Amino acid sequence: MTEKKKTYVEDIERTLYDIKDADHSVYKTQSGLTEDIIRDISKRKHDPQWMLDFRLKSLAVYNSLALPTWGPDISELNMDDIVTYVQPDAKMTGDWKEVPTDIKNTFDRLGIPEAEQKQSLAGVGAQYDSEVVYHSIQEDLVKQGVIYTDMETAIREHEDVVKEYFMTLVPPKDHKFAALHGAVWSGGSFVYVPEGVNVEIPLQSYFRLNAAGAGQFEHTLIIVEKNASLHFIEGCSAPKYNVTNLHAGCVELFVKEGARLRYSTIENWSRNMMNLNTKRALVEKDGIIEWVSGSFGSHVSCLYPCSILHGENARCEFTGVTFASKGQNLDTGASVIHAAPHTSANINTRTISKAGGKATYRSAVKVARRAPFAKCSVNCESLMLDNESRSDTLPVMDIEGDEADIGHEAKIGRISDEAIFYLTCRGIDEDEARAMIVRGFVEPIAKELPLEYAVEMNNLVNIELEGTMG
Amino acid sequence: MAEKLLEIRDLHAGVEGKEILKGLNLTVGKGEVHVILGPNGSGKSTLMNIIMGHPKYEVTAGTIVFDGEDLKELKTFERARKGLFLSFQTPEEIPGITVENMIRTAKQAISGEKVKIIPFRRKLKAMMEELKMKPEYAERYMNVGFSGGEKKRNEILQLLMLEPKLALLDETDSGLDVDAVQIVSEGVAKFHNDENSCLIITHNTRILEKLKVDRVHVLMNGQIVEEGGPELIDTINSRGFTHILDAQAGK
Amino acid sequence: MADTKTFSRIPMRTWRWLGVNESRIPEQLDGTAVKTQQLLVEKGKEDEVILVQRESGQFEIQVHIEDGAKLHLVNAQLVDADRPYTCRVKVFVGKGATFSYTVVEAGASKTATELYVDLAGDDSKADIWGLYFGDGERLIDLNYVIRQGGKRTDANMQVRGALLGKSEKIFRGTLDFLEGGKGSVGRENEEVVLLSPQVRNRSVPIMLSHEDDVDGHHAVAVGRMDEDKLFYLMSRGLDLSEAQRLVVEASFNPVLDRIPEEALKDEIDTYLQRRLSNG
Repeated sequence: MTEKKKTYVEDIERTLYDIKDADHSVYKTQSGLTEDIIRDISKRKHDPQWMLDFRLKSLAVYNSLALPTWGPDISELNMDDIVTYVQPDAKMTGDWKEVPTDIKNTFDRLGIPEAEQKQSLAGVGAQYDSEVVYHSIQEDLVKQGVIYTDMETAIREHEDVVKEYFMTLVPPKDHKFAALHGAVWSGGSFVYVPEGVNVEIPLQSYFRLNAAGAGQFEHTLIIVEKNASLHFIEGCSAPKYNVTNLHAGCVELFVKEGARLRYSTIENWSRNMMNLNTKRALVEKDGIIEWVSGSFGSHVSCLYPCSILHGENARCEFTGVTFASKGQNLDTGASVIHAAPHTSANINTRTISKAGGKATYRSAVKVARRAPFAKCSVNCESLMLDNESRSDTLPVMDIEGDEADIGHEAKIGRISDEAIFYLTCRGIDEDEARAMIVRGFVEPIAKELPLEYAVEMNNLVNIELEGTMG
Repeated sequence: MAEKLLEIRDLHAGVEGKEILKGLNLTVGKGEVHVILGPNGSGKSTLMNIIMGHPKYEVTAGTIVFDGEDLKELKTFERARKGLFLSFQTPEEIPGITVENMIRTAKQAISGEKVKIIPFRRKLKAMMEELKMKPEYAERYMNVGFSGGEKKRNEILQLLMLEPKLALLDETDSGLDVDAVQIVSEGVAKFHNDENSCLIITHNTRILEKLKVDRVHVLMNGQIVEEGGPELIDTINSRGFTHILDAQAGK
Repeated sequence: MADTKTFSRIPMRTWRWLGVNESRIPEQLDGTAVKTQQLLVEKGKEDEVILVQRESGQFEIQVHIEDGAKLHLVNAQLVDADRPYTCRVKVFVGKGATFSYTVVEAGASKTATELYVDLAGDDSKADIWGLYFGDGERLIDLNYVIRQGGKRTDANMQVRGALLGKSEKIFRGTLDFLEGGKGSVGRENEEVVLLSPQVRNRSVPIMLSHEDDVDGHHAVAVGRMDEDKLFYLMSRGLDLSEAQRLVVEASFNPVLDRIPEEALKDEIDTYLQRRLSNG
């Protein structure tokens, strides 16, 4: 009998992301979290009074809340060591030429302005450490009343709108890191799509954290009005340092009656990042939220985009892929709250764990009594590429009433020997057969990703065989 | 006899220390159609898997020579590239890999050259039409959600596209209705010519209707216990396998 | 509400607001003594034990199945509708041994049970078939865990339930594939029928894996009855409630059919039928 071979999937090629720029920040807060630091950030950002008050209130909430009692161990995160605000040596600009050379080079390497020039994006935002350094949007969208800008500009120019929505969906008291976000948030994107406007080409914001030992706390607020539609892409990366970096962003999405929003994320933080991100969507009658979520990077991730189906017939489609390798503990999933009749949701995820990585699928599906005829179908599959790794699945369904239709299915396992045999019987060698099966495993997700990311994900699945193991 | 394509001599093989094939001899010539009959559990499927080099099985003695080369040291994919093709009794479902992608990848692997997409698609479409497969099946994942008949037709589609030298058909007709057997049977007949051969396991003679059978082998208890021309099929069909055992006992 | 003691926990915690991380001892039972019973099946032996619980209280059953032995344990809980009940079943399964379990949670006002099966031996097997039935204001809180530590272990957990009235139920079922449990398979399936707008159902199918050479699968189906099935039955002359009763009965049958004592089976069947028609 031949010995069993183990499959090794190459890690994502990180050289590109790992190039560090010299730290040219003009200002950094002290590390840690005190009222003085908050006041200092607020002053530098020229916050209106209500925002300063909001920050201070959030700080109080932060101090009153305990760390979560579930999920990955985040005890190595010491807030006293985290620099919460790093101001890059650059002013927000709408002209790429004005972006400082080293920052520009970084984004050039990541292909950010390139996609814009190719017209595959209708607008681009780029955040470097705590501040957005570049924002642009196509002229015709501006004419139709679409707003796409950084949050700071949004507060200045659209204060009423921001004030009405800001952290109403994810209130600071939601959990400790939401409170932290409320206190120290900086940067992020604001998008407003007026009634009936369809933004055909995606908008993309890219977040880059360059400074060591820093935190990034960008806030993304998107409002898609009645019968409007938008595709928003978010990309994140950072070079690797030996100290812990923290990302505690917050995404609030408002999908109004009959509107449609697709929110795609490719998260590729470096392996020293604690990624404790909160994303939530409120979907009104006949509205649709589509999440596409790829989690590849970070040391620890807790990410469970939540959809509140608030209006009748509101719908959620969630597609996610998580790839946990050495030294990674990626706890990802989704939650859906059915709060109105005839709401429906589909959750479809794939996780891969290898080389000692730990991947957890965690979800919650809640059907409230006021939501008869809710429909939800969950399908999650986990592939383990070796036995040093861990893969856990922890879904909860909480259903009130008798008119719901809820189905859940999960599978866990490794590449089937029989499938390998079948492919080799067709002349395909074993390495390629394994690669094909892993690619096939993530294919339903990959096809939902923006093209350049799908290509990148396929490159991950570069398979090599190593020695023989029992 | 025609030039030898497959020659199995004194083959002993099994799984996890249990011997299933106990000194099997079998020769298939170029351009020939051979049929293997035998009761359930006699080792028919095992033989097919061993010819393809399934890692689960262990060959303890004997040789399998295909197209002049001993297969012993060859891995499954190498055997496939030499021109062996197994049509599975229960074809695997492989999510995420489309039928077209699968066949094109295999064709490239076997031929060792890049397969041009336009002519490939044209041929695939034509073959699918002959097998009465809906064209959209080319974009579906391998066997996922296929009915039994569709899976078997997908096997024959691969046979026709990959053009091997020897087709091993493991109960390709089982579980199919009359029309589906007809389609599969026509597909096999279309594949067969003077240069290639078929080794067919079946319980059903209908798949053989479009083929000229050269030789029939009866496999029982890990050995070929009787051989003959196509007339042997009728004998087995009317009298079953027991008379062979009886005859053997009488010897 | 008084803070009562924790009775059982899931192996991995999740969001607190879902209220599924732990089950609690019903207030009235807090502090009462636990009645413990031990079952030993010796090497290579086969045994069948039928327990009918009619008494309120806290119980614990410790089961040890030695190598190559087999046990079928039937545990039918028919406690009075106004009395609480807890039961903890701990099972050790040796090499090549089989634990077969048929459990019916039909009575009691508040039920908290834990089943903890340790498939420690290579080639050990667990075949768990459970049934729960809630009506009135019953609370049913179940936590089943199978740990698959031996090589080539085989776990099957099949749970069927129906909820009527204002009943509430939590079912947590965990398949835990431990490192080294190569070649193990685990199946878990829960089917719940909800029959009243006042019910609340929580299902938590957990799968933990520290071993790649395993094959785990879980599925949950919660909801209304299959319309086609009902239509079929009604086309044969049954009214809606008769048809519903028949469908629920059909889903319970695979569990009830495992009870070897006809009298007990009939008793449970009649009991459930009566409550179904009242609901």
